[in-house]
Amino acid sequence: MEYILHILVMIGIYTVLAVSLDLLAGHTGLLSIAHAAFYGLGSYTSALLAVHFGAPFFASVLAGMAVAALVSLIVSLPSLRLRDDYFVIATFGFQMILFSIFNNWMDLTRGPLGIPGIPQPTILSWTLQSHVGFVGLSTIFAAIAYIVVSRLSTSPLGRVLRAIREDEVFVQAMGKNILRFKVTVFAISAALAASAGSLYAHYITYIDPTSFTVMESILVISMVIIGGAASPWGPVIGAVVLVTLPEALRFLGLPSGVAANLRQIIYGFLLVLMMMFRPQGLMGRYGFGR
Amino acid sequence: MLTQLFVEGLFAGSVYALIALGFGLIYSTTRVFHFAHAAIYTAAAYLAYSGGLLGLKLYVAIPLAVILASMLGGLLEIVVYRPLRKKEASPVILLLASLGLLIVIQNAISLLFGDGAKSIRGSAVSEGLAIFEARITAIQVGIMISSVLLLALCWAFIKYSNKGKAMAAVANDPELARIVGIELDQVILFTFVLGSALAAIASILISFDTDMTPTMGFDALLMGVVAAIVGGIGSIPGAFLGGLLVGMAQHLGVWKLPTQWQDAIVFGILIIFLLLRPQGLLGKPLKKAAV
Repeated sequence: MEYILHILVMIGIYTVLAVSLDLLAGHTGLLSIAHAAFYGLGSYTSALLAVHFGAPFFASVLAGMAVAALVSLIVSLPSLRLRDDYFVIATFGFQMILFSIFNNWMDLTRGPLGIPGIPQPTILSWTLQSHVGFVGLSTIFAAIAYIVVSRLSTSPLGRVLRAIREDEVFVQAMGKNILRFKVTVFAISAALAASAGSLYAHYITYIDPTSFTVMESILVISMVIIGGAASPWGPVIGAVVLVTLPEALRFLGLPSGVAANLRQIIYGFLLVLMMMFRPQGLMGRYGFGR
Repeated sequence: MLTQLFVEGLFAGSVYALIALGFGLIYSTTRVFHFAHAAIYTAAAYLAYSGGLLGLKLYVAIPLAVILASMLGGLLEIVVYRPLRKKEASPVILLLASLGLLIVIQNAISLLFGDGAKSIRGSAVSEGLAIFEARITAIQVGIMISSVLLLALCWAFIKYSNKGKAMAAVANDPELARIVGIELDQVILFTFVLGSALAAIASILISFDTDMTPTMGFDALLMGVVAAIVGGIGSIPGAFLGGLLVGMAQHLGVWKLPTQWQDAIVFGILIIFLLLRPQGLLGKPLKKAAV
């Protein structure tokens, strides 16, 4: 039972990640490979605040989101001048640099040793310990992220974002400041990813850099794509499928090393097949520039 | 100390240049951001290794591995990239498909051979030659010389042979190249095979110096891609310069900073170039956004 609850919590966390990346990649057409870096920024910020200063849960979550939004400016202002694969590669570079900082800044992050003993969240003097409680909390986080993104995408702002995705020059000609829109969306997306990171840190109570690698970014991208970018439920379904699918492999009784490889092979294959035959994903409408 | 780091930077740089060249040729001719180049690189080393396991002599196993790895590169083009190109897929779709291929092949290799380090080196590590105060093994000198020779050969090939000129034409303007009667599919397939062969040779050369692991290709490709972008994508002298710059930055950086910051230094350079000179040292200026 606890195992199933754990999977539900992880689905909630990945839903936040996938939905927030979809705002950037699906709705605005800016495919970023730096999402795991913002997830990590949120995790580290709130873990450090909670461990060293005993910051309350919501304060540390908000601080994590603020830090991620600020750092996103460092990433977005320069890289948004680049297009298509050059933009992807710039975000890739930032992901590698941020991972390197998590992994090597021993004084702050303790590097590969990680940060243990992160307190479980206390909400109004009630400490969350049970798995059921965490399922509730992560569902709330996922719901908030979902509502934020779907409200944004159906608002006039969302219309501008989709217009930017389809034809940037045209939107510019209409007198819109596209850089401002892109930077704003990048910051919102980064802040949401950071909230997932804080939740993860307080749930697992231990973090180390291996949770925030490039491969993690690619996993989230796969969720968005397999589910369907820029569709209302696509990223959510992508998160559910890619979190549960590998768990199903567990029951085949394979050795853990084999299972890990097999899991990767399956989602690599899914990625290739999706790109070839259904780039808009299971539920989607938008097929990355088709 | 400094000369030692300099020589190591030179050595690393010459291998990065080969990877950058293969990757850059493919990217400039076909517009595929070929992440799976890393998979070809890894596959070549493991093919040579399995040749050894099957009892083949190295001089048989190595050419065989290069040929098989090049064929794998061609196969990816025929099975995945070509159909995508016919559907006029965007660069981002090609990039994601390529990433998927890399994940599949890399994990298949790790499934078959395990994650432990493997080696095709026969003898024990030799003491090394002393050049000034720096130590360098004979194998490393051999690798550097072969890599420079290969770069020169490729440069001459593209400049003077018909096939090479056709590649340059396709890179410049695929539509125009088709109009003057160049078989696009054929040239692109050839580019994939050639680029893959370069990656295969680089990976087997490096296996004589360092043990192989399933992630070796990904790590090497990252450096190769940075080298290609820094040098100017598709330019052969550019690949050479970019490779040297990355190798030097990585190793000379260690002089002042702890080793673990090597990656951060290299990607810092990448970001600086993307911002200030996205076409690289010797590349042609990038086209502005198409309307």
